[in-house]
Parts: sequence; C-alpha cells; structure tokens
Amino acid sequence: MALGVLALLGLKDAGGPVKADTIEEKAGVCASCHGANGVPTAKNIPIIWGQTEGYLYLQLRDFKKGARQNEVMSQIASTLEKDDMKALAAYFAQKTWPVLDQPAASDEVTRIAKTVNSSVQCTSCHLERFQGNSTVPRLAGQSHDYLVKTTAEFRNGVRGNNPGMTSLMKATPEDDLVKVSTYLAGLAGSY
Amino acid sequence: MADPRRYHLSTTMLAAAFAMALSGPGYSEEIKSATKFGDLSSVTQDLLTHASSDSSNFLHTNGDYGQSRFYPNSQINTTNVAKLRPAWIFQTEVKESLETSPIIVNGIMYVTTSFSHVYALNARTGEEIWHYAHKMGPITTFCCGPNNRGVAVADNLVYVATLDAHLVALDAHTGKTVWDKEVADPEEGYSETMAPTVAKGKVLIGTNGGEYGIRGFVKAFDAKTGNLVWTFNTVPENSVGVWAEKDLTGRDMHRDIAAEKAALAKLGDPYKTLGGGVWQNPAVDLETNRIYFVVGNPSPDLDGASRPGDNLYTDSLVSVDLDTGKYICHQQYISHDVWDLDAVSPPVITQVADKDGKPVKGILHAGKTGHLYVHDAKDCSLIRFSEAMVPQENMWALPTKEGARMLPGANGGVEWSPIATDPKQGLAYAINLHQPMTYSVESSAYPSGKLWLGGAFKVIPTEEQWGNVTAVDYNTGKIRWQVKTAQPMIGGILATAGGLVFTGEGNGLFKAYSSENGSLLWQFQAGAGVNAPPSSYSVDGQQYIVVGAGGNTQLDYKRGNAIMAFTIN
Ligand code: HEC
Ligand code: HEC
Repeated sequence: MALGVLALLGLKDAGGPVKADTIEEKAGVCASCHGANGVPTAKNIPIIWGQTEGYLYLQLRDFKKGARQNEVMSQIASTLEKDDMKALAAYFAQKTWPVLDQPAASDEVTRIAKTVNSSVQCTSCHLERFQGNSTVPRLAGQSHDYLVKTTAEFRNGVRGNNPGMTSLMKATPEDDLVKVSTYLAGLAGSY
Repeated sequence: MADPRRYHLSTTMLAAAFAMALSGPGYSEEIKSATKFGDLSSVTQDLLTHASSDSSNFLHTNGDYGQSRFYPNSQINTTNVAKLRPAWIFQTEVKESLETSPIIVNGIMYVTTSFSHVYALNARTGEEIWHYAHKMGPITTFCCGPNNRGVAVADNLVYVATLDAHLVALDAHTGKTVWDKEVADPEEGYSETMAPTVAKGKVLIGTNGGEYGIRGFVKAFDAKTGNLVWTFNTVPENSVGVWAEKDLTGRDMHRDIAAEKAALAKLGDPYKTLGGGVWQNPAVDLETNRIYFVVGNPSPDLDGASRPGDNLYTDSLVSVDLDTGKYICHQQYISHDVWDLDAVSPPVITQVADKDGKPVKGILHAGKTGHLYVHDAKDCSLIRFSEAMVPQENMWALPTKEGARMLPGANGGVEWSPIATDPKQGLAYAINLHQPMTYSVESSAYPSGKLWLGGAFKVIPTEEQWGNVTAVDYNTGKIRWQVKTAQPMIGGILATAGGLVFTGEGNGLFKAYSSENGSLLWQFQAGAGVNAPPSSYSVDGQQYIVVGAGGNTQLDYKRGNAIMAFTIN
C-alpha cells in the first residue's frame, strides 16, 4: 500500500525529487499518512505534529542516510535535501500535538512503567512527563502501536540509528517495554 | 581590595559608549538604571582576582579563582543562623532543573535556568531587571538535563554558554547580546551547561558530550570580541598512555591489556571520538598562570572494546597554561574507564600538607569514586586520597551482558556538585550519592553525534538509596564528620566564615550545618528540590544566602522555578 500512496501523490521512486515547492505543499505530501489534522491514518504511524524539532530533523536525515530504515520513509527522505528536512522539521514542530483516543494505563501498568523509569532514568533525557526537547522526542500520548513497534525495534537492532537507546531497551525486559508503551500512550495532553 | 568607586567614572563612560554603539539614543536610560541599581560596570580584573576576600560580592561560580566556595562574611553565623528567613523569592519562567550558581555584583544578581535563560535581579528585592531568553537552535544534544550552571562576569559583560553550544556575551545593563559564537557543532553531540570562567581577558569554556563520541576540549575566547584564542583538546592524538593496570588508589581494574593492544593494532588510536568532556569550571592560579580542570569519561561510556589504551586525558586532572592552552601536567584517576566514574566536580586550589607535612600548593578534587584526591599543584601528582565517603563494593567488576553490580553507582560518590572548603580548619565539604547500580556492556559503532553509551547503568530499584554531607581533613585524608541524608545528594555546598555550611536536598530541604562538627542548625522546606550550589553576598551591610530551588532532571527531583534569598532580620 505504501508505494501506491507514493505514486498517488505523484512522487517518483527512489531518488526522484518531491514535486512540491512551498513548505505547505511539501508537508501536504505527509498528510496522507501522518494525518491532515495531525492524527495519523494508521496505528503504526507516529504522530509528528508538535514533535520536537531537532528530533524530526535527525530522523529525516537518518532515513536518508540509511541509519534508520523504513520502506516508506527511507524513500520519501531520499528525495529531501537538508534544507527541506530542516524546514519540514520546523513546520511540524510548531503544530499542536493531537490527542489520540488512548486510555490511561491501569495502576499496575503505571507502577511497572515507573519502576522502569526509576531504573533506567528515561525522564533524565525525555524530561518530566515525557515531553521531550530538541533532539529528544516527546513520548507522552504517542501512538501505542508505534511505540511498541519502535521500542522492540531498538531492542532487536532493526532500528539502528541510536545505539544509546538500543542499549537502554536491551537493559529492559521486553514485556516491560510493552507496558511502558501503554503507559506512555495514555499520557495525553501537554503539561 | 580596590575601592569600587575608583572605577566608577571611567567604566560608566565606557558603558555609555558601548550602549551608544549598540542601541543609539537608548543609552541614557541604561545609565539611569545603572545608578539606580548600583554600579554595574565595575568588574575589573582586580576585583575578580581578589574575590576570596570580597565579603559583599560573589564574582565566580565557585566564589574565587581557587574555587574555595568559602565565603568570608560572618554576619550570618552559628549563633544566629536559626533566625534565617526568606528575604524574597523570585520565580523564573522556566520550571526545570536548576543548577545555577548565582553571581552577585554590587547588588545585582545574575542567575540562569534550564534552556540557558539568564536573569538580572535586584539582589535586595528580587525584582527582575532584565531577562535573556536564548533563541535555541533546533539541535541540542545533552545527556543529563537541559541545565545551565550560571554566568561569568567581567567589565560590563555577562557571559553564558548555551545548550546549543554557543558562547554569548550580554551587556550587563540591558541583557542585550554583544557577541554570540558557536563553540562547537551540536549535531556532533556538543552542548554547554557549565558556567564560563573569565581571567585576564579570556573566557574559558569546556564542553559536554562524553555520551556522544565527541572529542572534548577547553577553549579560550577573547572576552571583548569573542574570537577564539586557543583550544586545548582534552584527548591528545596519542591517547594510549602507559597501560595502567591499577587506578590511582592502587586497585586492579581488570583490564585485558593483550586484547587492548590487539585492538589498537587493528583500529588505531581512538582519539577522534573518545569523549573527554569538561563539565565544570577550571580553577585559575594567576601566580603561576595555570589553570586546572578535570576531564570526564571516555566514549562510549561502558564499552572499552573500541577504545584501547588509557584513553588520555579522560578521567584526569589536567593543567594547562592560561595564555596559550599548552599542556603542563596531568594525573589520571581511572585509566580506560568502563563505569563512567569520571571526574566532574570542579577542582580547588588551596594550601595542603604534602607527604612530609610540609605546606605546598595543592589541588583538591572529589571523585565519583567517593574519594577526595589531594594533588601537588606543581606537577599534578597525587599526595593522598581520603577514606571513601560512600560504600564501595566489588570494585572494579567489569560490566557484563547481564549487568554487574558495583558500588558506587555511575552518578558517584560526588557528581558534578562543587565542594566547599574551609582553609582555617583544613576541611573540604562534599555532598555524595549512594545509588546502587548494575553496569552492563553492549558494543555498537560510533553513531555520529547520537547517544553512545556502549551499554547501560541501571539503578537497582529494590535497593535503598541515600546521600551524605562529608567533611574531610585534606591534610590527613580522614573523615572529620559525616551526616546522612534521606536522598542521594546533587547540587553543591557553600562554607562561610560564620562557621557554617549550606546545602540542599532533592526533597526540598535547604540546610545549614556547623562546619566544625556537622550539627544541623537551620532548615527550610523550599517546595522543590534544592539541587544548586548556594552563594552569599551582602547589600547595604546585610548578608544574604541565595540558592535555586528547581529540582533536578538527572535524579528526577521535584521541579520548581524559585530563586530564594535568605537573610536575618
Ligand atoms: C506512506 C505513508 C507515509 C508518508 C506519506 C509519510 N510518512 Fe513519515 N512515517 C511513516 C511511517 C510508517 C513511519 C514509522 C516508521 C517506522 O516505524 O520506523 C514514519 C515515520 C516518520 C518519522 C519518524 C517519527 C518518529 O517518531 O520517529 C518522521 C520524522 C516522518 N515520518 C516524517 C514524515 C514527513 C516529513 C513526511 C512528508 C515529507 C512523511 N513522513 C510522509 C509513514 C509515512
Ligand atoms: C540518555 C538519554 C535517554 C534515556 C535515558 C532514554 N532515552 Fe529514549 N531516546 C533518547 C533519544 C536521544 C532518542 C532519539 C533517538 C534517535 O535519535 O533516533 C530517544 C528515542 C526514544 C523513542 C523513540 C520515539 C519515537 O518517536 O520514535 C522511544 C519510544 C524512547 N526513546 C523511549 C525511552 C524509554 C521508555 C526510556 C527509559 C526506559 C528511554 N527512552 C530512555 C534518549 C534517551
């Protein structure tokens, strides 16, 4: 389906330029998956509206470099120049983070997530209530299925663009990571 | 000490010229605010040099060039400290970790917050004079919170180093930018949280980034123009060293030297990505024209496989020439560190007894290992090390795949928190953590500016954590007194001529102890973690103690946004 979408959007395959000029047009290309109102169109697609600017830029850079790989995003990023990436990052960072309809975690899941946090000190980087800053992403209220997927992929090495996060995920039991994802997804709203 | 009025006329005129050049007709207003709030333009080299006997200002991050953190005013003392009350509380716009050391110049206070904001306040009332909100670049990479530890002052400029690795000079009257230079590229993992130091027309600054595979440095910039004067790379091109098998206290570190030599032959010298951040201010010795600083951990923190050798000058005390940045001497605490038990707390210059009891110029450094190290300033060599201030167990167990328990945990001992000293008593005061952790290793290639730990340190959630305040006799290495605290300690401590030490805790308690015997004489609940180093000053003959209460990101202590000044009235 993914490549079909690209074709629909008028994107050429790997290497072709994004056929859009203004930043709005360029960003419009992203809406079919990341949502016209910031709510992603599928559960395993991450929220990028209101995500931290430095982080968004580095992900696009890494998709293009190949340090992070994903069939769809690698192809899209391959068409972007550094200035486009910076502009897109700035554009999406100043949007409002959308609220997904995700339940708050149960007390038991919350307890486990807090134990993981006190052990690995996630909030020493992701900051209070997982709001993130600059190159460290916001996690609070991120799409649940995406969080489960990406923490597992840090852990098993499929996502290789941050060995530090890989080490920390390896140091945390896989089951706990799913619970942490549930907890994070349920932290809605900004604080 | 110089009479500040002597400098008044000329510096005010200078300031006027400056203001005119910058903002044209606006200058007359700035002069007015200068007279209203005191003479803002009198931070001469003379004042900076003699700060240790200045009982009204607080001119350096750690009090004076020697970084003694001993404040020579005794108006607030053991007999009256029980009557200490809040004079004012200023709320910053930023509610995050506060690690600022307030600087006070003739009744004006400069404080910083997380994300590199700077405030100028009226030190008597807490009223805001100006606020500088740094326009942060899109990329910042920092490991332990968006902290800032304060400003440096000289002439009519205020210097701050920012999270996006810039060094900025602000007009002390207005907070307007005079110059702004990139210190290093944040996309490669460089960031700034430390306060700069100014000496003899140079602004000295180190860097963070030991968690990101940087090549560390100390740089000197021209104080007037911001032009780079020199760079000292904390990692030399030959970083291999002497294959030390023992740490500086003589304990075996279980290095596999044969494997390291094989790795060196295969990989070459790892100096380009070896880390070696400098987190805290250098001590400055104007008599010998030397500076002394400590260098942080090698990158990646826990995995030594890709970085054979001693990894010079990581985990070391280093001295260089103030004018040229040329190497003078070093002493490494832990060669080929794989525990991140690095050197971060700022060194102190003070007179110490050498091995024969003879007085010599010494350097003190409190390590994450929990030892206070005493060096000879002449050649950096070790004179002695103190008894351990926290439990040490299983040292030096190598990190494993599953995680090996060893004490102290990776935060120390003594973290970045500056120590204080009382030269008359020959005591150094250090605040410590006890936070049991496991150390695990996991190899990965250099990720160009991304987080690169080479494993993980994990707090063991079932084990008790606590902290302490420890007074060490640096002439003998013996602990004089020790007080346990409910939580691991991070922030800093101040000693005063009033026979007191002041330090705060993560639970919001700010306390005064007798510096002689550690008895608790006063405490105040600040409502958020007091995890910043206190300063002291006086205005109109009245002494104040000031401290930030903003909690701490690294240890997740309750955040706040208060700068609190206390006095007796
Ligand atoms: C065809 C669907 C699709 C389109 C179009 C698309 N994306 Fe994505 N994007 C994804 C998916 C799926 C992921 C998750 C990849 C993964 O799991 O690693 C993703 C991930 C990302 C990420 C990483 C976010 C994070 O939290 O790590 C960024 C940044 C991003 N996309 C930006 C963009 C931008 C900018 C555009 C438009 C130029 C765009 N995407 C267009 C599907 C899409
Ligand atoms: C030492 C700092 C640090 C710590 C500790 C840390 N992280 Fe991260 N984390 C990062 C950085 C930096 C990134 C961005 C990775 C990149 O550049 O690709 C990240 C990325 C992530 C992502 C990906 C988000 C996305 O949108 O794709 C998740 C999920 C995450 N971290 C979860 C955690 C959890 C859970 C913990 C604690 C168990 C944790 N992190 C601890 C620094 C840290």
